[in-house]
Amino acid sequence: MAACRALLKRLPVMNTTPLILISFTAIAAVLGLLTALRPELTRARGGKIFAFMALCVLPALAMWAGVNEHLERSTSTQFCLSCHVMADFGKSLYVDDKSYIPAVHFQNHFVPTDRACFTCHTDYTLFGDYKAKWRGVHHVLVQYLGKIPKPEEIKLYTAYNNRECLHCHAGMRKYEEASSHHKNPEMLAKAATNQLSCISTGCHDTVHDVANLKDATFWTPKVNGK
Amino acid sequence: MTATLLERRIRWAGLLIAVGLLLQMLTLPLTHPLAFVGFIVLGCPLVAAGMLLFLYSLVSHDTP
Repeated sequence: MAACRALLKRLPVMNTTPLILISFTAIAAVLGLLTALRPELTRARGGKIFAFMALCVLPALAMWAGVNEHLERSTSTQFCLSCHVMADFGKSLYVDDKSYIPAVHFQNHFVPTDRACFTCHTDYTLFGDYKAKWRGVHHVLVQYLGKIPKPEEIKLYTAYNNRECLHCHAGMRKYEEASSHHKNPEMLAKAATNQLSCISTGCHDTVHDVANLKDATFWTPKVNGK
Repeated sequence: MTATLLERRIRWAGLLIAVGLLLQMLTLPLTHPLAFVGFIVLGCPLVAAGMLLFLYSLVSHDTP
C-alpha cells in the first residue's frame, strides 16, 4: 500500500477534466450519428426515448460542459499569450523593475500567475467576464482577418478603471495607510470613485511599456530553488 | 406529415449534432483563441440547429 502511494506521488498530476469531457462528447456524437443512420429506431417507444437522449439531452450537456471548459481556459495566461502580438506583453511580466506594475504583481504572486492577464483586464461588473470574452472574439477576428497592430500600438478601449485595482486593494492595510495615498485628504475617496486614476495621474503610470522592453533587464524565476 | 419525413428530419438532426459535437471535440484538447472561437461559432450553432430540428420534427408530427 505504501509503495503504491509512493508511486502515485511520483506520477505527474494530470488534469482529467478535458479527457472526461472529450470522451463524453465523443459518446454523444456516436449516439447522434447512430440515430442519424437508423432513424427507424424511433418507431418503437424505447427508440423514441433513445432519440430524445441522443439528440437532446446528451448534446445539451456536452455543449454546456464544453462552454464552461472553454470559458475557464480562456482566462488563462497561456491562452492570452498564445497570439504572437501578445508576446511582448507576456515578456513585460518578467521585467526586473519595481515601477512596472504588471511585473510586480506577477512576480510577487499578487495576482494568480496562471490567470495574470484576466485578473487585471476583466471588468469586475455583472457582465464583465462576458464583455471581456466579446472583446476577445474581436481580437481573434483582427488576428486572422484584419491588420495586426504592433505591440506598442495596442491600447485599452477605455481608460483603466480604478475599480479593477480596488477589487483587491480596497481595504488593504498597505494601500489604506501608505503615506503617498494621504498627500491629499480626499485622495482615497477620489480614487474609490475613479475621479483620480491610479495609473494615468502619474503615480503608477509604468504599465507594460512594451515600446521600451529592449532596454529593460529581466528577472529569471528559479525552478525548484536553482 | 408522413413518418418518412419525420425520420428524414431526425436523420438530419442527428447528422448536424454529430458533426457539431465532432467539431467541439476537436477543439477541446487545445487552449487557443481559435479553438474557443471554433467551438462557439461553428460547434455550438450546429448542435443547437440539430437539437431544434429534432424538437421541431416532434411537435410538427401529426399522430395518425
